[in-house]
Amino acid sequence: MIMRPGQQQLLLPVSPIFMWASLVMALLLAMLPLGRAAWMPDVLALVIVFWSVHQPMRVGMGAAFFFGLCMDVHQSALLGQHALSYTTLSFLAIMMHRRLTWYSVLLQAPQVLPLFLLSHVIELAIRMVGGGILPGWTMLVAPALEAALWPLASVLLLAPQRRTPDPDANRPL
Amino acid sequence: MSLGTLDRSTPPLFNQGPSALSKLIFFSALALFLMVADARFNVVRPIRLAIGTVLYPVQWLALKPVQAVAEGGRYLEELQLAQRKEAEARRALALQSERAGQADVLASENARLRALLELRQTTSTPGRAAEVLYDSADPYTRKVVIDQGVAQGVVAGSPVIDPSGVVGQVTLVQPFTSEVTLVIDRDQAIPVQNMRTGARSVAFGDANAHGGGLELRFMAANSDVQEGDLLATSGVDGVYPAGLPVARIERIERRADSGFARIYCQPLGDVNAARYVLVLTPVGGQGSAAAHPAAASASAAAAASAATTPKAAATVVPGAPAPSATTAAVAPAAAASGAVAKRTPPARATRPANPVASPTPAVPAPSAPAARPRTPERRATP
Repeated sequence: MIMRPGQQQLLLPVSPIFMWASLVMALLLAMLPLGRAAWMPDVLALVIVFWSVHQPMRVGMGAAFFFGLCMDVHQSALLGQHALSYTTLSFLAIMMHRRLTWYSVLLQAPQVLPLFLLSHVIELAIRMVGGGILPGWTMLVAPALEAALWPLASVLLLAPQRRTPDPDANRPL
Repeated sequence: MSLGTLDRSTPPLFNQGPSALSKLIFFSALALFLMVADARFNVVRPIRLAIGTVLYPVQWLALKPVQAVAEGGRYLEELQLAQRKEAEARRALALQSERAGQADVLASENARLRALLELRQTTSTPGRAAEVLYDSADPYTRKVVIDQGVAQGVVAGSPVIDPSGVVGQVTLVQPFTSEVTLVIDRDQAIPVQNMRTGARSVAFGDANAHGGGLELRFMAANSDVQEGDLLATSGVDGVYPAGLPVARIERIERRADSGFARIYCQPLGDVNAARYVLVLTPVGGQGSAAAHPAAASASAAAAASAATTPKAAATVVPGAPAPSATTAAVAPAAAASGAVAKRTPPARATRPANPVASPTPAVPAPSAPAARPRTPERRATP
């Protein structure tokens, strides 16, 4: 296995329970009724992209599609709008997952920014065709915030895999 | 290091399933099909309802922390603010109790006058109180979700009002919740009547206005509208009861290059912050009550339908600002409904028997412009 010396670290296998629990938590966070703000970052999209990059064999477009449908129903948006945008996100994340893990976490963030931008553009285009109203320029903030949350998500969601395989007195976790 | 402790594993050589691109094409096609079916053919409503039912516990869970924070915020509210609010509420209650006393007298008087004129009795509109759970997070529409659904007997198409005016219309009923499209949504139209001139027209949502507003379209550039005119529901659509206050005209632009004036209105209902609302039964769904004269007359006494002039009805509206007095506010709304009904008996008589078959807001739009051109002609001859 080729690894970048010094920075890349051998990880424990992911726990499927933790992975799906984090996705459901993200759905819960995305469903928090915090009002109608176009700049609100889409945490669910972020977590879907994260697991598509790190576990492409487990979380794929099917899961993204399903969670997108849930968001559509919750937001009473057009059924399929989030599903399409999340599926595209997952596809692009799977396409770039080998390249992305080669960089440090801070350098990964600007590379996932175009993905989030594209997903918001897809939603905007669908709604403009369907006859919605323009949410205003603040919606440009949302992809930037999502990309800015990428390092945080990486640290949090990879933390269980960074534990030591055999804990002892010096390394309790 | 023992086996099975490393995340990196060799991917399966052959059993990889369909390629990523083919999966993307499949799911995109499925999403596009769902969108077209949802927007045009209305066939995926069962899917939406099923997902909504499954999702309800998650939504309930997500609602709790936000509600707790809001409750905590209210708990720590300043004493002075609470006292001021109570004083306001008491003032509004005093005003309304006086009007309620008048309404009883006027109701009996109106019943006698209507009997003399052999007019159809007005019916009361039954309503149920509901709490607004959350604003739908979709920034492309203006919808809210309320805590009453099929289980509580809400039907799609029901008008939703708050103490100061019409807020919107129920457009989708889930088992335990309902989606209310606000009057400021771009696709929402509501037939209104100018209470000063009596001219009927249709107000369309104008969500791009600051905070959301309404626009009165297709009014001739020289039509008789003034800033400050009150717009109330006209009742010709068979969905909204007549005379509910909707909006006040805020700004009129008369342009030389256009045959129509641009008329911007401010909604009277608290569309952005209403917490408690009243879901009324659509007028068209009340046919059974109107069929029995006894029931109709009994409910007519309850409805404070009065021989008030439209001007009097207009003054009722701003006098009910207390957001907590939801049930008390039904009286002024019902009083106003009587006033308009009396002015336009032909429109009420020709109302279709059951026009609320489709809950989409497009229903009122075609019917009202048809009725509209008659009105200016009548007004044009002084």
